[in-house]
Amino acid sequence: MTKSHLNMAYRRVNGPGQSLTSILSHNNCGIHQPCRTGTHNICMVSDFFYPNMGGVESHIYQLSQCLIERGHKVIIVTHAYGNRKGIRYLTSGLKVYYLPLKVMYNQSTATTLFHSLPLLRYIFVRERVTIIHSHSSFSAMAHDALFHAKTMGLQTVFTDHSLFGFADVSSVLTNKLLTVSLCDTNHIICVSYTSKENTVLRAALNPEIVSVIPNAVDPTDFTPDPFRRDDNVITIVVISRLVYRKGIDLLSGIIPELCQKYPDLNFIVGGEGPKRIILEEVRERYQLHDRVRLLGALEHQDVRDVLVQGHIFLNTSLTEAFCMAIVEAASCGLQVVSTRVGGIPEVLPDNLIILCEPSVKSLCDGLERAISQQKSGTLPDPEKIHNKVKTFYTWRNVAERTEKVYDRVSREVVLPMDKRLNRLISHCGPVTGCTFALLAVLNFLFLIFLRWLTPDSIIDIAVDATGPNGAWTQQYSYSKKGEENKEISESR
Amino acid sequence: PYPEPSVRCEVVGWQKVLYERQPFPDNYVDQRFLEELRKNVSARKYQYWSVVFESGVVIQQLCSVCVFLVIWWYMDEGLLAPQWLFGTGLASSLVGYVLFDLIDGGTGRKKSGRTRWADLKSALVFITFTYGFSPVLKTLTESVSTDTIYAMSVFMLLGHLIFFDYGANAAIVSSTLSLNMAIFASVCLASRLPRSLHAFIMVTFAIQIFALWPMLQKKLKACTPCSYVGVTLLFALSALVGLLTISGVGAILFALLLLSISCLCPYYLIRLQLFKENIHGPWDEAEIKEDLSRFLT
Amino acid sequence: MEVERIFSDIYGGRLALQRRQYSPFCREFCLGCPRLSLRSLTAATCTVWLVAYGLFTLCQNSMVLSAAIFITLLGLLGYLHFVKIDQETLLIIGSLGIQMTSSYASGKESTTFIEMGKVKDVVINEAIYMQKVIYYLCILLKDPVEPQGVSQVVPVFQSAKPRLDCLIEVYRSCQEILALQKVTSGSP
Repeated sequence: MTKSHLNMAYRRVNGPGQSLTSILSHNNCGIHQPCRTGTHNICMVSDFFYPNMGGVESHIYQLSQCLIERGHKVIIVTHAYGNRKGIRYLTSGLKVYYLPLKVMYNQSTATTLFHSLPLLRYIFVRERVTIIHSHSSFSAMAHDALFHAKTMGLQTVFTDHSLFGFADVSSVLTNKLLTVSLCDTNHIICVSYTSKENTVLRAALNPEIVSVIPNAVDPTDFTPDPFRRDDNVITIVVISRLVYRKGIDLLSGIIPELCQKYPDLNFIVGGEGPKRIILEEVRERYQLHDRVRLLGALEHQDVRDVLVQGHIFLNTSLTEAFCMAIVEAASCGLQVVSTRVGGIPEVLPDNLIILCEPSVKSLCDGLERAISQQKSGTLPDPEKIHNKVKTFYTWRNVAERTEKVYDRVSREVVLPMDKRLNRLISHCGPVTGCTFALLAVLNFLFLIFLRWLTPDSIIDIAVDATGPNGAWTQQYSYSKKGEENKEISESR
Repeated sequence: PYPEPSVRCEVVGWQKVLYERQPFPDNYVDQRFLEELRKNVSARKYQYWSVVFESGVVIQQLCSVCVFLVIWWYMDEGLLAPQWLFGTGLASSLVGYVLFDLIDGGTGRKKSGRTRWADLKSALVFITFTYGFSPVLKTLTESVSTDTIYAMSVFMLLGHLIFFDYGANAAIVSSTLSLNMAIFASVCLASRLPRSLHAFIMVTFAIQIFALWPMLQKKLKACTPCSYVGVTLLFALSALVGLLTISGVGAILFALLLLSISCLCPYYLIRLQLFKENIHGPWDEAEIKEDLSRFLT
Repeated sequence: MEVERIFSDIYGGRLALQRRQYSPFCREFCLGCPRLSLRSLTAATCTVWLVAYGLFTLCQNSMVLSAAIFITLLGLLGYLHFVKIDQETLLIIGSLGIQMTSSYASGKESTTFIEMGKVKDVVINEAIYMQKVIYYLCILLKDPVEPQGVSQVVPVFQSAKPRLDCLIEVYRSCQEILALQKVTSGSP
């Protein structure tokens, strides 16, 4: 990802003063902005975005890029990461607001439900946003944005990236909050059917308003390269964060079990985490220093180089909504062995994956099957696997399907305040419902106060970088003279 | 609470896979939706009488506290001679000691590998030390007001009841803490008795009733459930009679408490099971059932 | 040639932009903020005195009252001399440079001059300011070491904070002069 510069190119519009004032006169934008047919002004909100790395982050980035390509205006709102705060532009004019909000835990911001309203409202108004798309149920900012957007009467979409249990106290509480947050959200997107079932149960939703749109991988980033691997030995690759939920304890049982049985077997483990210590202990205990390589944390661009060195990819996750890693591995032409948990059985067809129960014995059996297939040469050619996998998941397809959700949502009406309160009280239980209904009313009063303080009419409309009138999209048609004027996208 | 999934007839069947483009909208709800949902997988069916039987541990512990307090009251009033209590305590301890080995035919002792000589030694050491320190115990809390001592004892005994190991697998259970609190309460109360001999005998008695007696009970319960029921009833009855000699109202209240714990609470537990709705499905985090520590040892 | 247009600042207040064109290479922009209104002055003074009187009734010390008088007087002086800016001027001379002047309400003036050789460009940028996201005009200075880089960003009209339409007007004029300057300096 490159940090790009934007030529603001005000010169492109012949009479910007006039055109701006004509839009300014239409000042009730927050309440009911008629949606132009075809394109939407989308605001993605999540605590998780670059420079943080992970599934949610790349999902937001790739989806935004494909939506921009399809002519929509997309902006991203996240919290400041260290020195990276203010407004930045990424490739093809993707505008990112890094808001100076305090981070509380695990890169998620603290929430008081109100403090982010002034800034978010200002952004929603100046960018003329019509659809708020929040990501990840772990992100407080995403839920805040949903809450404010509903108060402002904007359409809302939420994407859930994770699975949750129902048993312990913490999940009971989070599920309740999710129920509150999603009960008046227009549409919800899940990344797999299992995730949909989970979300519908957790938030007590009508399954009709939940769509399943899987994640995708960029197939050009993950191409096989059979010459990079050493065919004299068999190499098993594991790439995941080294935490309990990824089943690293199982891995610590598999490694000695198989290494003792097969002298020509090597392991490559990529990733970092608190469970690294037990892998090191196993390596020490069984004297496997030359056969088990622990690479530590990997940069995203290095993942492919590690993957192509192996024959078999092993995933030991204990819970997983979609699992991008196995698709990436299969795209690199590796035979995938994985636990049968969460949405994993939906991701790859049976001939590309060996599914096992989450136990050392079952996983060893699965790996031994893969090893014997590899030795006998019955595994399909990596190139063939790649060609097949690359048709499965593409970001363009994801963007198309997400666009359908936006089209559907933009035709729906946002619940007016009275109905929203009724919905909260009837849907979330008496205590929680009434509490949050009160909070919604307070939020609405706060919004009225803010509108009195700074009316929508004195908020400048932002110059679109993307979308139908995007400065960025028309930049290239503009004469090359514009190149001289570089705008650094640095805030004060 | 969820609306019935709508059923649509299509020529091609829907598959729960993500890698194929299917001729259904993304928000399609198949009739197989939530078919892997399981409820109350690990829920236990409770039998009324077995729950009542299990509640015996709680009854026993409540009675222990009651008996301890009754004995203390008698000592405090001077109605019970300390020599007499010591004699009875020693005798019943010896009987209990013999019983402890007899119940399981000495298998427990063989397993632990502990000799009788070691038992005798630790008993002697304990008695000597308590006897030696009993004058200190007596004067230890002299500067503290009696009300504070009583309040502290009440809290400590309550804490003993809360943290006692009733056999439940919960984070709050801590048998050492529970025993320590009981002993602390006994030290507090003993310091209010007339003489240091009284204090010594009170603490010894507390050890017997809070440390040794539960061990014997546990063994009784495991080996001869019938006699355990008998012993529990007898113990509860004696505690009640003891309390009755002090206060009639207290005895009635205590009897009601025992009854509600042993009869009403189990009934309530079984009734509430009907409302249990524990949801399981493929989204649950898988549990590692094997013992993985063998790879590291 | 002098043109005056009315714009508003980001709080909705009135701003008057005077544009004086001395020659094709030399323009001056003058942003006048509204003068200190009698109403707000009275309001501030009254508040301070009310508080002082409240304290006086509590502690019965007449020092409080005299202190209040001094505080209001000194505060007003300080405000007029260091805080309240009545007018901000941007003078751009193609061959020479850019001069920014801010005149305080007391009459004090502070001037910054940037010579043309140092100016890389004049641009409009966005920033998060308090609970707002605003546009501002700024001058980019060349990095003496690396000609492509930017060493410093100097914001213009910092106190007036005009809105985008006003900024665009100034921006285009500046760009015209910068472009002319480039043409003339490029072909001597």
